[in-house]
Amino acid sequence: MPLLTVQNLSTAFHTRHGVVRAVQDVSFQLERGETLGIVGESGSGKSVTCYSIMGLVPQPPGRIEGGRALFGSVDLLACSRRELNRIRGRRISMIFQDAMTSLNPFLRIGEQLIEPLMIHEKIPRSAATDRALAMLDEAGISEAEHRLKMYPHEFSGGMRQRVMIAMALITKPDLLIADEPTTALDVTVQAQILELIKKMQSELGMAVILVSHDLGIVSGFCDRVMVMYAGRVMESARTDDLFYDTKHPYTRGLRNSIPALQMKGAELHTIPGQPPDPQHPLPGCPFAPRCIHAVDYCAQEEIVLVDSPPQHGTACLRVQKENLSV
Amino acid sequence: MDSSTPIASVAPAESEGGSSFWQDARHRLWQNKLAVFGLVVLSILAALCFATYLFPNISGYTYERQNLALGPVPPSRAHWLGTDALGRDLLARLLYGGGISLLVGLCATLVSLTIGVIYGAIAGFAGGKLDMVMMRMVDILYALPFAIFVILLMVFFGQNLILLFVAIGAVEWLTMARIVRGQVMAVKRQEFVEAAHALGLREGRIIFRHIVPNLLGPIIVYATLTVPEVILLESFLSFLGLGVQPPQSSWGVLIKEGAEVMEEYPWLLIYPGAVMALTLFSLNFLGDGLRDALDVRGSKD
Repeated sequence: MPLLTVQNLSTAFHTRHGVVRAVQDVSFQLERGETLGIVGESGSGKSVTCYSIMGLVPQPPGRIEGGRALFGSVDLLACSRRELNRIRGRRISMIFQDAMTSLNPFLRIGEQLIEPLMIHEKIPRSAATDRALAMLDEAGISEAEHRLKMYPHEFSGGMRQRVMIAMALITKPDLLIADEPTTALDVTVQAQILELIKKMQSELGMAVILVSHDLGIVSGFCDRVMVMYAGRVMESARTDDLFYDTKHPYTRGLRNSIPALQMKGAELHTIPGQPPDPQHPLPGCPFAPRCIHAVDYCAQEEIVLVDSPPQHGTACLRVQKENLSV
Repeated sequence: MDSSTPIASVAPAESEGGSSFWQDARHRLWQNKLAVFGLVVLSILAALCFATYLFPNISGYTYERQNLALGPVPPSRAHWLGTDALGRDLLARLLYGGGISLLVGLCATLVSLTIGVIYGAIAGFAGGKLDMVMMRMVDILYALPFAIFVILLMVFFGQNLILLFVAIGAVEWLTMARIVRGQVMAVKRQEFVEAAHALGLREGRIIFRHIVPNLLGPIIVYATLTVPEVILLESFLSFLGLGVQPPQSSWGVLIKEGAEVMEEYPWLLIYPGAVMALTLFSLNFLGDGLRDALDVRGSKD
C-alpha cells in the first residue's frame, strides 16, 4: 500500500477578482522511502499542492474543491484538525523555502527544536534536549550544545535551513515535504543541504517530496518527477524516463532550457510566451498557445493525465492520440 | 556529510549565546542611560511611596494629622514641602498618595494588559466573523462614556479602591486589544507561524507561545503609556470626588486641591505636579529601554 495517495486534488482561491484555480485534478502516489520531485514554473501550483496536503492553505480565501489525500487510512483533506495535528510534525514534516523567516525570531533554537518532540511524544524536557543535540549533530551543526541557546538571527541562512531540517526530522517522520528548500541559499550551501536531506532519508527511510524549479536538482535527487504547468500535471515519470524518453512538449521545452546542457556561447533556449492567467483559464490544454506541436483540438479538448506503461503519464493530447514523439 | 564541512566548522561568534535571555536583556537595558535613569527614579519613588503607604507615620507626620494652628506654611525645615490649609504635611501626603496612585496605575495596567492581550490575540488570530463580532463589541464599549460607566459602578457598588482598579482596567484594555489584534494579524501571516502549523502545534500554543512574544515591543510600550494614563484617570475620578476619599490622598487629589489654591499657596500644586511629571517621564524612558532590551534581535550590540 502506498504511503501517500493523492487523488484528483483541486484547490482554488476565491478572491475579489474571481476564482483562481491554483491546482486542478492532481493525482499521484508515493511509496515508502521514495523521492518524488515536483517541478514547474512559478505559479504552476507545486507549492499549493504541498500546502493542501499539509492543511496549510488559508481558508478563506483558499478552498480545497475536491479530491482525497490518503495517508495510511486517513484522508488529510477531510480529517479533523485534531487528527491532522497528530500527523503533522510527527509523521509528515515540512521544510519551507525561506529558512530566514520560518524560525520564530523570539525563541531559542533549542526551544523550537524540542517543541515537536514534547508535543507529539510527550517525553520529558531533558530527554528531548538530548535528542535535539543528537539531531543538530546529525544535521552538521557543530557545538550543538552551545547553539541550542542561540537565537535564529545568530545563524547564517544555510545553518538555519539545517536547523529547520533537524526540527522537521526530529520526530522521525515517514514523509518529508521540502518546498524549494534550497532556493534562498547559494549554490555551495544548496548542495550541502540536499546532501543532508539525502543522508537523513537513507537513515530514516522516509519518503521525500521535493518541490523545485530546478530540473538539475530534481534529476540528481528524485526517483520520480512530476512536471506541473498552470495547476495541472503535464507529465509524470521515473526520472530517467522523463529525461531520456520525454513525452510532453512542455517537458521537452524545460529540458532544452537547462543552460548546462547547451553549447557555450549558444543562445539560451527559452519557451516563448507566458503561462496563462490562472483567473481566465483557457479551454483545452493550458500549454497549447505556447506549444510548437499544437493543433486545433489541443485548444478544445479537456486534458487528462493518461498512464502509458511503465508508469509514465503524459497529458499531451497529441501524444495520446497520434503517438507524436516530441 | 559530517561536521567538517566549511559551514559547520565555522566557530560561533563570541556572542552572548551562552547567557540567558534575561541576562542579555539586563545588559542591553544597562547600556541605555535614559532607561537606567527612569528605573532608578521610579525605584526610589516607589520605595518611598510604598513605605509611607504601609507605615504612614514613618516620617513623623501622617497624611491625615492636622495642625490647624499652623495652617498653610511654605516649605521649611520642619515641613520640607510645606503644609496645606489644614496644616497637614505635604511630603507625607505626597508619598502616601503616591502609594495609592502607583498601586492603581500598576494594578489597572496589569488588568488591562491581561484582558487586552488575550482578547486581541484571539480576535486577530481567528479573523473572519469571530474577529468582527469581538471587535464590534470593543467598539460598543468604547462608545460608552467612561465617566458615566464609573459613576454607575460607584453608585451600585459603593466606593472602594478595588472597584477603582476594576473600573479603570475594564476600560483601558480596549485600546490594548485593538493594538494587539492588529499586530497579531500582521505576524500570523509570517512563515514561522505556518511552520508552527506544519509541526502540528495547537492553536492556543501558536498564539501565546509563538505570536505573542513577537509583540513584546508594542505591548510593553503601550503598557508604559497606560500607567500614566491610568494615574491621570484616577486623578480625574478623584477630582470628581469618585475616586480616593478624604482624608486619604492621591496625586490626583493633591493636584486638584493644589490647583484650587495655586495663587495663594503655589507649592501645593508645584510639588505634586513635578513628582507626577517625573514619574511619567521615567516610565516612558523605562518603557522605551525595555522594548529595546527585550527585543532579542537587538542583541548584536
